[in-house]
Amino acid sequence: MKTMQDFKEDPLNKYINADSIEKAPEGFTSKVMSGIQFETAPLKASAKLKNRNLVPAISIAFTLILIIAAILMPYDKNDLVAQPVTDFLKSVLNHVPKIDFSVLRFNLPATLIYISVAILMLTLFDRALNGIFHRER
Amino acid sequence: MVYKGDIFYIDQVLAGKNSAFSYIVDRHKDRAYNLAFRICGNHEEAEEIAQDSFLKAYRSLKSFKMKSSFATWLYRIVYNTSISFVRVKKKGVLSLDDFPADATDFIGNNTSEEDAEKEYRCSLVNFALQKISEEERGLISLYYYEEMSPDEISDVTGISKSNIKVRLFRARQKMLEIIEKVEKKNTVQYENHARL
Repeated sequence: MKTMQDFKEDPLNKYINADSIEKAPEGFTSKVMSGIQFETAPLKASAKLKNRNLVPAISIAFTLILIIAAILMPYDKNDLVAQPVTDFLKSVLNHVPKIDFSVLRFNLPATLIYISVAILMLTLFDRALNGIFHRER
Repeated sequence: MVYKGDIFYIDQVLAGKNSAFSYIVDRHKDRAYNLAFRICGNHEEAEEIAQDSFLKAYRSLKSFKMKSSFATWLYRIVYNTSISFVRVKKKGVLSLDDFPADATDFIGNNTSEEDAEKEYRCSLVNFALQKISEEERGLISLYYYEEMSPDEISDVTGISKSNIKVRLFRARQKMLEIIEKVEKKNTVQYENHARL
């Protein structure tokens, strides 16, 4: 702090009144705080975006591993890994009820119907996931 | 509400409670605004500078090492922001004719002659401040309005204590010269007007 001696000897003190400071305008604090909120908001959003991007990234990685495994693994009927999988898929297809299209007067391969149902179910599943991960929007 | 000290609110902000920063802003806004205003000489720009300074302080709150007081640290940000701002928006040089005639010109806005005199002196100082360099303006503001010692000013500006004293002396001389010239000009005008 300045001393009293400084004050007395200074001719400029005749003109300057330290008490007459310019005050910040009304609403100054709220303006600063909204600026801070505006700055922190994109950081939170980018963190959410990172989490969101993680789901398709894992999905893509998993699919790629499966594709590479399918390419690299040789087909063998006695294969210890592939055999139970193919057996399971065959048993599922055998247990699926057969649909008779003769009533509809046109003939469609049964697998097409099952594929359509699967697409429909996957779409519903996708909508459900979308609802969970994009809730913050 | 009792202010619990800068450190208390800084800790809260660092712990994730952003709203605690509003107490810090409330506490220091007038001094920060005043310093910015004395350096830039314009209310709109001073508000912009002061807001920008608080945002900078918020952003770098983690780097505040508490070696100096928070106020000194904040003033350093305001001072540097103001100087940079003024350098970018360098304005034309004011002439003595830009200053209103004398204290009687201020009577219209004030109730008493005493208030008019105060307003006149205040405007005279602001005018003289705009005629010196932005660094000198900062030093004058910190010394006269914030009533800081050369040691404290050295902490804010990063200029050595001995250099501060020299620069303050020169700035003060320049301001007094400008004030004297304006007052002399006003006296001549007043006498001419009286003669007519």
